[in-house]
Amino acid sequence: MADEQDLQPTASPDDVVTADEDNPWLTEIAEQQLTEPAHDKTGIAKVHPSLVLTGFWGPLSEDHPAHVALMTAFGDRVKEIAFFRDEVTIRVDPSIWVDAHVLLRDDADLAYRMLSDLTAVDMLKLRAAPRFDVVSQLYSIKKRWRLRLKGGIEDGELIETLTSVYAAAGWLEREAFDMFGITFEGHPDLRRMLLADDWEEGHPLRKDYPIRGYSQYVEPGFEGGAAPRVKDNRRL
Amino acid sequence: MATTEQQTTGFGTWDVSEERDLGGGQREMVLNMGPQHPSTHGVMRLLLTLDGETIIHADPIIGYLHRGIEKIGENKRYSQFTPWTDRTDYTAAPLNNLGYILAVEKLCGIVAPERAQYIRVIMAELSRIAAHMVWLGTHALDIGALSMALFTFIEREKILDIFEEFCGARLTTNMMEIGGFSRDIKPSTIEKIEQLLKEFPAAQQDWEDLLSENPIWLARTRGVGVIEPEAAIDYGLTGACLRGSGINYDIRKAQPYLIYDRLDFEVPIGTNGDVYDRYLVRMEELRQTLRILRQCLDQMPTDGPIMANDSNYVIPPHHNVLRTAEDMQRHFVWVIKGFNPPKGEVYSAIEHSKGELGHYIVSDGTSMPYRMRIRTPDFVNLQVLPYMAEGAMLADSVALIGTIDIVLGSVDR
Repeated sequence: MADEQDLQPTASPDDVVTADEDNPWLTEIAEQQLTEPAHDKTGIAKVHPSLVLTGFWGPLSEDHPAHVALMTAFGDRVKEIAFFRDEVTIRVDPSIWVDAHVLLRDDADLAYRMLSDLTAVDMLKLRAAPRFDVVSQLYSIKKRWRLRLKGGIEDGELIETLTSVYAAAGWLEREAFDMFGITFEGHPDLRRMLLADDWEEGHPLRKDYPIRGYSQYVEPGFEGGAAPRVKDNRRL
Repeated sequence: MATTEQQTTGFGTWDVSEERDLGGGQREMVLNMGPQHPSTHGVMRLLLTLDGETIIHADPIIGYLHRGIEKIGENKRYSQFTPWTDRTDYTAAPLNNLGYILAVEKLCGIVAPERAQYIRVIMAELSRIAAHMVWLGTHALDIGALSMALFTFIEREKILDIFEEFCGARLTTNMMEIGGFSRDIKPSTIEKIEQLLKEFPAAQQDWEDLLSENPIWLARTRGVGVIEPEAAIDYGLTGACLRGSGINYDIRKAQPYLIYDRLDFEVPIGTNGDVYDRYLVRMEELRQTLRILRQCLDQMPTDGPIMANDSNYVIPPHHNVLRTAEDMQRHFVWVIKGFNPPKGEVYSAIEHSKGELGHYIVSDGTSMPYRMRIRTPDFVNLQVLPYMAEGAMLADSVALIGTIDIVLGSVDR
């Protein structure tokens, strides 16, 4: 069992561009990209050149404009900023979940106007509390930056819906509800998304959900126990 | 209210067809479309609320092809999951492979050699053409141009032949490995691609001659299913659905991965955001894809490694496995136990033929991902269907489904 900090970043912001001996052409590309004015690549200079090719997330330091904006507005309810590879994760208190997104969306400079993805992670095996992380991936077309926001909630706790901020959140939240049982407060249409409406067996992406379901499927005609049961050796 | 038939399915009790009297001489009708309807491109169900022939509300119901691929991903080792990515969007398997492999490589911090990156781009772009062929064929078929499906599938067949020659499979290719490729591209395969590059523009011209100025095609697509640019961003649309509305967002340009920043190509943008503009955007994308392929073939180094030289995360070369004890042991451990990437989380997105394909992997340091999230483009894009369908005619509903370019394996996962 690892605690929460183990899952957080190993890359330090002090990583500098080093010549990659196996792939000298990568360093070349990285240098080209850094001098090229057409792309806004602030902060990428501190990452290994191989990661330049995978996306831009803004400066890998606490001075990240999104972090500064959130800190100014919400103070200590912005929990932490974490870096892994070239990615930036900001953990916020669930009480400011919607307000933080509104702020990032409406900020004229940052303009995180696109919700790329919204999902959840069941942290059951990684930490004691809280149980779930609700994760949103934002994208700013203007700045070409991505950003990940996280809010931790307990099982049964409500989190406010983002449908008023991003229309894209509608189905993504329905899916998170379907798969994890997280209730989004104020969602206009919180139904099962991928599973059947009358699915009774809980929420399959929870870590305590057995991989073959809670009850064994019995083929019609074999209700008396005649069906051979395959021994399940796989992990939960 | 006259209920014609009650039916109970796994998806709840619903009325197959229902007519409601709203009073004042107004009536509305709930019409069920699918899940076995041919124009829903798979198993999608639409509940349409109609006022005469006008759609008041459309409610897409999905999940008929849900296989729990995310849960499966949490119980497979990193190398074992690649074949499952083929089964999400089965019309563009190499692109799915690429999205997943790039995410794992980012997590592990390894980079494929230059030649492998070129081959990846070639295969991904061929796959983009093949996926657009399915889209164009079926989309035109739905609207009424029956012969388009025959024409486009001829060209698609040639691309599938190239895949078959390269990796042995046509649809579920599983062609990419973590770190590069295990098989090099043959000269005969490159010849086939050259041949395709020669023949394809003429074929595409034929289709455009048939469609682009065809009065029926124009009547069925122009001004239909308009998405405003603000709405397109708000709904998180990507791919041609976003670019058709005039927003310039192509991940190959905005956040270039692999060697896309060395290639000279343009991102086509629409103006009206209707079905016809998205058609034009995709047709222009085909031309740009051919340009990319041409440049890749010209720029690709003629020899060099195709697999990253990394002892932790990469499968040892087959040649060495059969000859040296060390590599045989490494191969054994790699296959039986897998590898343990660092603890952390990555989100890696590529430009799929349908939009942004993102893989969000949370690693707890063991050989299986702790969380494997696949953000498929068409799942998010399909969400805009009720917005587009509101006020549209019933006959246009098939055009609206076709223009989003959905594959239900990818929507349901």
